Amino acid sequence: MNYIVMECHPGYVVLLDEEGRFLKAANLHYQVGQTVRDPVLMKEGPARRPVRWISGGIAAAAACLLFFFGFGYYQNYLMPYSSIYLVINPEVQMNLNRQGTVVSLVGTNEDGVALLEGYDGRGKDKVTVADELVDRAIEMGFLSEGGRVSFSIDAPDEVLFQEYGIELRTGITEHLDGRIMVTIELAASGAGGAVTESSITPESSAESSAPVSSAEPAEPAIVPSAPADTDYGPGNDGVTDYSDTDYGAGSDGVTDYTPPASSAPASADTDYGPGNDGVTDYSDTDYGAGSDGVTDYSPSSADSGYGGDSGYADDDGDDSDDSDDDSDDDDDD
Amino acid sequence: MNDQHQIIQQVYAAKEDGQAADRLIGDYMPFIKAETAKFLKRPPIEGHDDELSVAMIAFHEAVHGYSRTRGAFLKYASMLIRSRLIDYRRKEQRHSGVISLDTPLGEDDGTLGDTLADERDHGEELASREATRAEIEELTRQMREFGVSLSDVADNCPRQQRTLEACRRALRHARENPALLDELLRTKRLPVAQLSAGSGIERKTLERHRKYMVALLLIYTNGYEILRGHLMQVMKGAAAG
Repeated sequence: MNYIVMECHPGYVVLLDEEGRFLKAANLHYQVGQTVRDPVLMKEGPARRPVRWISGGIAAAAACLLFFFGFGYYQNYLMPYSSIYLVINPEVQMNLNRQGTVVSLVGTNEDGVALLEGYDGRGKDKVTVADELVDRAIEMGFLSEGGRVSFSIDAPDEVLFQEYGIELRTGITEHLDGRIMVTIELAASGAGGAVTESSITPESSAESSAPVSSAEPAEPAIVPSAPADTDYGPGNDGVTDYSDTDYGAGSDGVTDYTPPASSAPASADTDYGPGNDGVTDYSDTDYGAGSDGVTDYSPSSADSGYGGDSGYADDDGDDSDDSDDDSDDDDDD
Repeated sequence: MNDQHQIIQQVYAAKEDGQAADRLIGDYMPFIKAETAKFLKRPPIEGHDDELSVAMIAFHEAVHGYSRTRGAFLKYASMLIRSRLIDYRRKEQRHSGVISLDTPLGEDDGTLGDTLADERDHGEELASREATRAEIEELTRQMREFGVSLSDVADNCPRQQRTLEACRRALRHARENPALLDELLRTKRLPVAQLSAGSGIERKTLERHRKYMVALLLIYTNGYEILRGHLMQVMKGAAAG
């Protein structure tokens, strides 16, 4: 292409090409009006700058969006949020995301590793994975008629624990319905400790579909049979006892302690009531012909008459120590 | 630090003003020569080494392309000069197998070019160049009345082919309606509204390239036959349209 030299400057020239473009080029000793070929044209740098800035901004915004959405996606779908521990004999840990989908499966014992060999449950629903693992356990001989399947659920809140428990119980029950009978146990794993409830499938599965929460103990703690006189709850009698103290100015001289269980009298060998051993001891007397020389009195009896005030009148007719008299009685026996 | 600040001020002034750009190049000519010498590994000869001209246009390019975010101006200019000189050398290597007409002929003082028969009519060529120069000077004078210089037009020229074609369509519309060219000469203002309405080109496009459109329309007023003859491609589009 031919160019006409339109203007000459010390550092550059202005050229006009045949398509009507005005261009700057290196001044290779040109003169105005000269027609030239193959000039060294100035490259256009500045025009690209705004485009670069815009594209950079768009890229940065896209990166920010990707980061936020990616983080949200990671938090919702990839990050483990809860866990279910499946115990038959094989022990398998299912890590779930917030959606209840299995993120990873870990065999926590040797059989668990064997059970998971060749199985990929990632991305599947927890109930589906549980069903499939139970099927595999049956196939591999880990689970048979009358066996036990235990689910220990580690969920961050009670609602999720209840929800997962119901889903797993219902899912497994329906899955094994009419095939084999197994016991399903559900437990809360974690700080509350493992608490279980069991049911038998398929017949009695409908008896209790709701799992027991970790707040309810399996074996209740020892509690008094009658509620004490408290100022709240079921034992509240409507009268506050704030002023009834056992010490200081408000003390009424009567202690309000409940006697500890250990202080209750031990059951003696009696022929009736809770201490009855089914053998009558009528012939075992401490006196007369049936006396075997061994007293059957309970030494811890509250008012046995021994070692204290018997309540009997002083029978020796003097004011000497009663303990002497008692010892005399023993001698008589 | 203060020197750097002063250079940056000069550079930003040169971006807006062509004369300031010429002054800056003149002031930093030793720097440009030094950078060229580093590349050539010998001092450049002014008026003889094309590399020096390439280095000067690279310096001019650095002035236009510089921004404070790019760091120190002289480092940026040095990098750009080196890059352009490398590009130029690569381009020239394509002709490495060609013997120069300036090759000396043995013991004689003449060169290889002197031995070749020159079929060109130097007289006619010189006359044509002078006529072209006269047209260009007249165009430059007329453009000055519009407050436009050829350097401004070069900076304002469309880069994209699509925009260039849009400007050509506006030019064709003006040629078909000579009243628009008369109005341009009379009012010394570009009739953007009429051009936009008649050619269907967006007003924004025409306003953005106003200086370029002024130069192009002036070339297609009376006179400037040599320049119009040069712009063959523009008229090819008109014929097709």
